Amino acid sequence: MNGEPTLEERYRRVLRLLPGYYRDRWAADMVATFMDSSMTGDEDEDAWIFYYAKPAWREVASVAGLAARLYLGGAGAPRRYFAWGQAVRNAALAVLLVQAVRSIDALLRIAWSDHMFGWLPAAPWGITATPIGGIVPSAVWYLVAYAWIVSFLAVVYGRYRTAQVIAALAIVPDLVTLVYGEFRGVPPLTSVEPWAFWVLLNLTPVLALSAFHRDALPPARLPWLLALPALFLLAGVPVLTLLATGSLGWLPDFSGGCCVLVALACLAHVPRVWSRRAGSGVWSLALTLLAADAAAYRIISLTSYRNDPHLIAVSLVELLVLAIAVALVAPDAARAQAATPAPRPQPLPG
Amino acid sequence: MATKPMTGQAFFVLTALADGPRHGYGIVGEVAELSQGRVKLKIGGLYGVLDRLSAEGLIEPDREEPHDGRLRRYYRLTRDGRRALAEEAELRAATARVVRLRLGLSGAEAAG
Repeated sequence: MNGEPTLEERYRRVLRLLPGYYRDRWAADMVATFMDSSMTGDEDEDAWIFYYAKPAWREVASVAGLAARLYLGGAGAPRRYFAWGQAVRNAALAVLLVQAVRSIDALLRIAWSDHMFGWLPAAPWGITATPIGGIVPSAVWYLVAYAWIVSFLAVVYGRYRTAQVIAALAIVPDLVTLVYGEFRGVPPLTSVEPWAFWVLLNLTPVLALSAFHRDALPPARLPWLLALPALFLLAGVPVLTLLATGSLGWLPDFSGGCCVLVALACLAHVPRVWSRRAGSGVWSLALTLLAADAAAYRIISLTSYRNDPHLIAVSLVELLVLAIAVALVAPDAARAQAATPAPRPQPLPG
Repeated sequence: MATKPMTGQAFFVLTALADGPRHGYGIVGEVAELSQGRVKLKIGGLYGVLDRLSAEGLIEPDREEPHDGRLRRYYRLTRDGRRALAEEAELRAATARVVRLRLGLSGAEAAG
């Protein structure tokens, strides 16, 4: 009437959030139901609603939630969406694993600094845990460390919403510290690097845990449980050793460590890719997602090394190693999420 | 393999279809009435449930009827859907009996 879209057209636009195969099957009926639920039975009022009303935000949110569940598909979803769902779930759990290992490392350092290991000499300077300045009490950081471990275990044991709530609470003290640092001008909190850490390694996995919905396949419990001590022994212990012996020249910073870790995981996965083992594509996609996360963090944290050409060169080498490693699994990842024909809609009887 | 427990929303949607086919908006209204206003299905949520129930073979399309220039699709229970609903109702009734027993409530008190 005035060139503006009608309510029906607006609802059709909202439904574009949904995957094509799902729209083909359900969109026409969803629009009919949306319109039925909007009409009042009064002719004048309904005419106004039809031409001027906008979709209720709660309904839009419900469609967005449905879209997220469908794109991150679980059992019974088309292959492409199932692959994305599994990849995001694996990647989220892998980041939680890294956070849990960091937490074990932090708790051990605190225990050593506080002389809880009587048989060990006093903790060297490099080991001493020093929380960054802020308004969050030390006791909260202990809880945060435990929270990441509990959150990881909760996912492994199928308590998805509990895990997400605990992880969401665990990232709040970091956010409070960052906001406080911004207002008070406390370095290094004013640089972009800690914000990148918070968004890419705190907020992103918390959001990605939404992929663990009702239709999600449960994670393989034993391998993930074994991964926790294994990663601590393979990554946490060497880092602690380097810190204790003062051999810091060999130690990459955390973003560099993430790049190296993902690159090593890609290389370890290559034999599965080359042998075309079933399910390798999902892990290739998960590793590609992790590589993107690690690379973004590495690139953003480069801003901290503006005046140090040597560290910039080291960081670029880390990025190059990551790029080469992920290039070996990327074609497999692309095959895993290649589109497949949508399932046929059910024919109506009669 | 153990089947997943039926969600509250799925239970109400199946119950809404127990006495005959209904279209999407009819299901929303019936669920609100059955639950005395406690369950207000959003359309995205409703079609998530309908899609899952359809994939599990518990409901199926019945017919389509034109209404205000749009087609309303009606859904009905399948035989499996009727059986699943009956089993779930029995399970919930048994649970309710245990609750009443443990609270020391008689049938009349519980109903009142």
